[in-house]
Amino acid sequence: MVEASPETEAHFTEYAIEEFLVRDEPYYRPIGDEIELFTAAYRQHIPVLLKGPTGCGKTRFVEYMAWQLGRPLAVVKEQGNELKEGEIRVPLVTIACHEDLTASDLVGRYLLDANGTRWIDGPMTRAVKAGAILYLDEVVEARKDTTVLIHPLTDHRRILPIEKTGSIIEADDRFLLCVSYNPGYQSALKDLKHSTRQRFISIEFNYPPPDIETEIIQRESGCTKEHADALAKLGDKIRNLEEHGLQEGASTRLLIYAGRLMSEGIPPRRASQVAIVWTLTDDPELQRSIEEVSSSIFE
Amino acid sequence: MTSGPISEIETELAKLPPAVLEAYHDANATVKESFGEEEIGLWAKEGLTIGTQTVRSWESAIEYYNVSPEVSKFLSFPSFMQWARCGTYLAQDSPTLAVSFFKSSVSIVPNLRPQYIPRWAGLGRSLYKGTWKSSTLAAKFFEVSPDLVRNLPFWDVEVFASLIEALSYKSYDVAGECLVLGRDVLPAMGREREPFLAMSRALIDTSWREVKTCLELVPRALQQVDEAQTGRFLKLGERLAKVGLRDTSRFLSDGTQALSKVPQGSQGYILDLCDALVVITPDAVPPFLRSLDDVLNRITVSQLDSWFQHGAKLLQDNPESGIAFFKIESNTSEAMLETLSSSLELDRVKSILRLYCRALSGAGLEIYDTQELVQRNIGWIDEDMASTDGTKVFLPPVVDHYPNKQDNFSWFKVVSTHQVAHLEFGSFEYDFEKAATQFEDRRHAAEEQMLERKSAERAAAKAAYELGAQQLASANEVDADMSAGFEDPNDLSRVRTFTDIGRFLEIFENTRLGFDIFTVLEDCRLDYRIKVEYPGIKAASGRVQTETLANRPRIEDMPLQQGLVELLIHMSLDQFQDLPVAKDYKEAAEMLSSILHELRNSEANVEDTAEATLRAYEVISRVPNEQEEEDDFEEQDLEEPGDFSEEEYESLVDQLQAGMDASADGGDGESYESPDPVDYRGDFKPEMVQLMTKLQADDGEQGEAQPMTQEMLEQLLQESPEMELDAEQGDVDSDMAQFAQNIMKEAGTPPPNSEPGEGYGPLLNDDEAGGELEAREPETYVYDEWDFRANDYKPRWCIVKEKTVEEGDPAFYQESLKTYSALANHIRRQFELIMPETMRKTYRLVDGEDIDLNAAIEAWADLHMGVPPDEKIYWHRNRNEREVAVVFLLDMSASTAEAIDEGRQTVDDRDAPDDPVEYMVWLRRRREGLVRRNYKRIIDLEKEGTTLLINALESIGDTYGIYGFSGYGRENVEFYVIKDIEEGFSDKVKKRIDKITPLHATRMGAAIRHAATKLENQTAKTKIMFLISDGRPQDRGYSREGVEKEYAVHDTHMALVEARRKEIIPFCLTVDKAGHDYLKSMCGDMGYEVLADIWSLPERLPMLYRQLTANNRG
Repeated sequence: MVEASPETEAHFTEYAIEEFLVRDEPYYRPIGDEIELFTAAYRQHIPVLLKGPTGCGKTRFVEYMAWQLGRPLAVVKEQGNELKEGEIRVPLVTIACHEDLTASDLVGRYLLDANGTRWIDGPMTRAVKAGAILYLDEVVEARKDTTVLIHPLTDHRRILPIEKTGSIIEADDRFLLCVSYNPGYQSALKDLKHSTRQRFISIEFNYPPPDIETEIIQRESGCTKEHADALAKLGDKIRNLEEHGLQEGASTRLLIYAGRLMSEGIPPRRASQVAIVWTLTDDPELQRSIEEVSSSIFE
Repeated sequence: MTSGPISEIETELAKLPPAVLEAYHDANATVKESFGEEEIGLWAKEGLTIGTQTVRSWESAIEYYNVSPEVSKFLSFPSFMQWARCGTYLAQDSPTLAVSFFKSSVSIVPNLRPQYIPRWAGLGRSLYKGTWKSSTLAAKFFEVSPDLVRNLPFWDVEVFASLIEALSYKSYDVAGECLVLGRDVLPAMGREREPFLAMSRALIDTSWREVKTCLELVPRALQQVDEAQTGRFLKLGERLAKVGLRDTSRFLSDGTQALSKVPQGSQGYILDLCDALVVITPDAVPPFLRSLDDVLNRITVSQLDSWFQHGAKLLQDNPESGIAFFKIESNTSEAMLETLSSSLELDRVKSILRLYCRALSGAGLEIYDTQELVQRNIGWIDEDMASTDGTKVFLPPVVDHYPNKQDNFSWFKVVSTHQVAHLEFGSFEYDFEKAATQFEDRRHAAEEQMLERKSAERAAAKAAYELGAQQLASANEVDADMSAGFEDPNDLSRVRTFTDIGRFLEIFENTRLGFDIFTVLEDCRLDYRIKVEYPGIKAASGRVQTETLANRPRIEDMPLQQGLVELLIHMSLDQFQDLPVAKDYKEAAEMLSSILHELRNSEANVEDTAEATLRAYEVISRVPNEQEEEDDFEEQDLEEPGDFSEEEYESLVDQLQAGMDASADGGDGESYESPDPVDYRGDFKPEMVQLMTKLQADDGEQGEAQPMTQEMLEQLLQESPEMELDAEQGDVDSDMAQFAQNIMKEAGTPPPNSEPGEGYGPLLNDDEAGGELEAREPETYVYDEWDFRANDYKPRWCIVKEKTVEEGDPAFYQESLKTYSALANHIRRQFELIMPETMRKTYRLVDGEDIDLNAAIEAWADLHMGVPPDEKIYWHRNRNEREVAVVFLLDMSASTAEAIDEGRQTVDDRDAPDDPVEYMVWLRRRREGLVRRNYKRIIDLEKEGTTLLINALESIGDTYGIYGFSGYGRENVEFYVIKDIEEGFSDKVKKRIDKITPLHATRMGAAIRHAATKLENQTAKTKIMFLISDGRPQDRGYSREGVEKEYAVHDTHMALVEARRKEIIPFCLTVDKAGHDYLKSMCGDMGYEVLADIWSLPERLPMLYRQLTANNRG
C-alpha cells in the first residue's frame, strides 16, 4: 500500500525522505468526520494533533490523508514517479519520536568532510522545504526542547529558524505539521505542554465500533467474516479490562495480526493467544482471564 | 597442728585399708586451703563415718577424700557437709552408689545449686531398691547426672528421674537404656521437654516399652515438625497415651512423617484435626496421620476439611467405619477424595472469573460466593444457586459436578457467562415503554385490562364489605375494628410500578405463573444469545443443558398447566424433538414453541421476552391445571413451528377460552406450582435488581418523585413473585421489616469503610448550618470547601491542624527494610538509574554546546590525512537536572486498621470447647484463621511502602514530605507530619513512622489543600502530590444532607484540580478495589491507580513514583 513499483530490480525502493509519496490508496475506514476535518485543517494551514490509543489507526489515517490530498480529482492513477496532470506532491515525512531525539536530529547539522564542513538538512527542514505533511509520531516521547522547535512552525508564521546556519525557512504552502499522541500513558510528566497543545486542532481517535472494526479486520487480514467478527468482539471485551489490570486494550492492529495468522490457517484460539493475549500482558492471571474470554468466543 | 581429734580420726582411718588414709592425706593438703581447722576435723571425721558404714564402704570413703578438694572449691562449708552427709547415707545403703555419687559430684557441683544437692542425691537413692540391678541403675543415674543437670532445669531432671523410677518397676534394663537416651535427647529439647516427659509418663502406665522408642524417635520429630507445633504434637501424644493408645511410638513416627509433608503453615491445622479426633476416638488418630500424606497428594489442605468432617461424623456414629474411613479403606472415603480432588473451589479461580466477567460485561463486576449473598438477607436465599444483583456475580463456593477440574471450571464458566449475560444482554434494563423488536405491543392493552379487572374487583370487594358491614350493623354486633373502613387493595399498584419489571408483572393475574414464564423465556433468550455470541462455550454449555434435561421431571407426570411451563423449559434447554404433549393441547404447544422461537434471535431484547411472556401466559393460563392420563400424551416435534402470527395466536386464545368456559368446573384444577429451578441458570431476580438500582439512583439525586419508605418497600416485597417463590421454600422469615431494612441499607451502600456506631455520630444533617471558621491556635490553617450543588466554595470551612507524629521505635523502619531487603535493593537500584547526571559534561557528541577540542583536533588530523573524520566533535552539558518535590499523603483513617484478610481469628488453644460438636465449629473457625495467617493491616502496608520509598528517595535526593491525614469533622482535620518537606531525614522520621496509626475519618479535600500549600512554596520544577488511600473520602458532615456521598468526591476532585492549577501533579493510589467508580469522578483525567492486590503496595508505591517522575527531562 505504502510502497511503490514492485517492478524494480532491487528488492527495495529508496527515496529521499521528502520525496516519499503515498502512491497507492492506503486502506482507511473513516469512522466520523475526521477526513473532512483534516482536509479543512490542511487547507487552512492548521496543525493537527491526533489523539488516541496505540494501534487504532492514527498513522494509517495520516498516510491516507497524504494520499488523498495529493490525489487530483478525476485523474486515473498510474504507477511511476512522474507527476500526473493535476497531481500535486504531498510527500509524507514520518518521524517516530523518542527520548533521545534532539533538535539537531530534526533540523540538521554540520557534517565534516574532506573539504571542511557541510550542512545537512534534517528531516524537518526537508519537509518544510518540500511542502510535506510532517508527521511526528508519539510526540510526547520527544525531548521537550524539540517540541519547542515546532512552535514557530505551527502558528501564523510558519517558519523554521535554523540557529546554526543563521537562516529562516518559510514553509512551503503545502506543508502541514501533524503530531500524534497517546493520552493513555499514566506518567504525569509525559504530558504535552499547554503552550504546545494549543497550537493544534485535536482529532480524537478511538477503537472503531465493533461492526466497523470487523470490516477493518476482515479487509486488512483477509480472514473470514466470522473470524473478523469474533476478533472484533474479543477486542471489545478485552478493552473492558482496561483499568482492571490491563494497561491498554487490544489495538485494532493486534486484532488484525491475529486475523492474519488465522487466514494462514493458525487455529483461532492459538492465533489470538500469540497475537493478543501474550502480547498484551505478562500477568499470568490476566492472561488466563483473557484466554477464557477468547475460548468463549472462538470455537 | 596435730590436735587430738584429728589424730584420733587418722588412727581410725588407718584401720581401714591403707588406700583410705592415702587418699585422706592427699586431699588434706588442698582442703586446708578452703577450710578452717575445726572444719577440717569435721571433714575428716565425715570420711571416717563413710568408711565405717558397711564392710565395703571404705571404697566410698576413698572417693570422698578424692573429690573433696575439688568439691570444696564450690561449696561453702555447711553445704559441703550437707553434701558429704548425703554421701554417707548413700554409703549406708550401697557403697557403690556412694562411689558414683562422689565421682559425679566433681562435675555436678559447679552446676547445681547447693540446696538441690540433697534432692539430687535423693533422686539417685530412690532408684535403688536394694537389688544389684537397681544399684547399677542408680549408679548410672549419678553417672549421667552431670550432663542432665548441666542442660536441664533441675525440676525436669526430677521429673525425668521419677520417670526412670517408674520405668524401673517394669524393667531395669529398659530404664537404664532410657536413662542414657534421655541424657542425649532431652537437652536438645526446648519447650517440648515438658510435654514430652508428660507423654512418656503417661505411656508407662499403658505401654511402657514405648518409652524407649519414643525417646529414640523424638529428635527426628523435633527436626521435622514446626517449632511452634512440636509442643502441641507431643501434648497430643500425651493425650493419646493417657487414653490408652498402644503404639504411641507409631503415632510419633507416623505423625512426624505426616506433618513433615504437609504444606508449610498448616501443621497446626492438622494437629487441630487430630485434637478433634482424640475427643471422638483416639484410635483414629494414627490411621488418619498415616493416610494424610496420601490424602494431601490428592486434595488441598482446604479441601481436607470436608473429607475430615465426614470421617469425624462417621466416627461418632460408628468408630469402626470411621477408622476405616481414615484408613481410606472405605468406599465412602475413596469416593469423597475422588470428588474433592476434582472439585474446584471458587476461591481458586475467583480472580480469573472476575476478570472474565468484567471483560464480558464491561462493568466492574465483583465475584462473591453465594453464601455472602444469603447472609445479606436481601431476598436471595439459595446457597447453591448462582445469581447476580447487577453489580456482583454470586457463584457457588465449590463445584464438584465432574470428575476433573477442567470440566468443573467449564461449569463455572457456563454459569458465570449466563449470569453476566443478564447484564450484557440487558435483562435488567427492561423498560415498559420500550418497543419490542419481534412482537407487537400488547402490554399496554393488557395493563388496561388488568386495571379494569382490578377496579371491578375493588368494586366487588367494596360492595361485599359494605354488605358485610351492614349485616353486622343490623345484627348489632358492630366490632370497633370492622368499622375502620375499607382498604383499597388497588392502591398498591402505584407502589408496584416503582420498577418497570414490577409494573409488567403486575399485569398478570397469576403473578407467579407470569414470572415463571418470564424467567424461562428470558433464560432461553440469553442462552441462545450466548450460543451465538460465544460459540466457544457451546460445547460446555451444551453438556450442562443436556445434563439438566436429563434431570428434569417428566412432563407427563405433571398437571397440564405446569406441564406446559415445563415444556417451555425443555425447549429453552434446546430440546425440541420427542416432546410429550397432551393431544388436546397440541396447538397450544405449537403456539408456545413459535413464541419461544421468536426469542431465539440475536435481535430479540428483553422487551420481546416480556411480550412473549404475555402471549405464553395467555395460552398457558387458559389450560386447566389438571393431571392428564399418560395415554393422552403424544410425542411431538416442535423444532419448526413456523413463524408466530398474531391472528393464529388470537384464535387459539379464543378457542382455549371457549374450552375453559365450556367446562363448568374450570376452577377445579390443582393450584399452580412453580417448576423446579434450572440450576445452572441460577436465581433470576430482575425486580429486585431494578429496585435496588432505582433506590440507589434515588439516593443520588433526591427531590424527584417521592422517596420510597420502608413501608412501601415491605408492601412491594410482599407482592413480588420473586419473594413469593422463596417464601414458598420456607426460608424467609416473615420479618419483612428487617428484610426491607437490609435492602435499603444495601441500596444506600454505606461507604465500605464506614462503621456506624463507632462514634462518628449519626451521618445525618450536620454542621451545614455552621458558619465560617477561624484558625486561632498556632499551626492551624483554614481552607474553603467545594459544594458541588451550590457550585461554589463554602468559605473558610475547614480547619486543618498540623501536628507532628509522636516518635516511636525506630525498629519498625529497620525491620521493614529487612523484610523487604531484596525489594529495597531492587528499588534503590532502579531509582539510582534515574539519578540525574547533573551538570556533567558529555564528550564526543555529534552535536552540542561547543567543540570538544580533543575530538576536533583528532578530526582535523584525520582530515589532513585524507581519512574520513569522526564527526563526534561536540560536548554537551547534561541539563537533565532533576528537580522534583513530592508530598505523600497517607490515609490514616480508621478503616486502615482493617485486617487485610477477613475472617481471621486468633483464638488461643485454651478456649477449645470440650463438647465435640462445638469443638468442630470452633475448629473450623480457627482454621480459617490459620490457613491465612498474615494479620497485617492496610496501614502496616502503607507504612512499609513509605519506608521503602524513603529509602529510595534518599538515594536520589528528591525533596519530599510525608504526611498523614485524618480527622473528625470540619473543625478537626488533622494533618500529621511524618517528615516535613523542609526537614531532613533523620532517626526522628524513622521513629515517627512507627507511630503511624489508624485514627478517624478522611476529609481528603482539606488535607489536599494543605499539602498543596506546602508544595506551592517549593521551587522545584516538578511538584507531585501522591495520595494513598483506602477508600472514599468521608467524614462527619462531609456530605450534603448527610447522604450525598458525591459531595466528598466532588470536593476532593476540586481540591485536586486546585492543586493542578498550582502546577502540582496529583496522583491517587488506592487499595480500595471498589475504587474505580468514584476515583474516576474524583481524579478525572488526573492519574490514579487502583491496586488490585493490596499486598503489592510496598512494591508498587516506589515503582509508581519512579514511573511518574522518570521522564522528567530538561
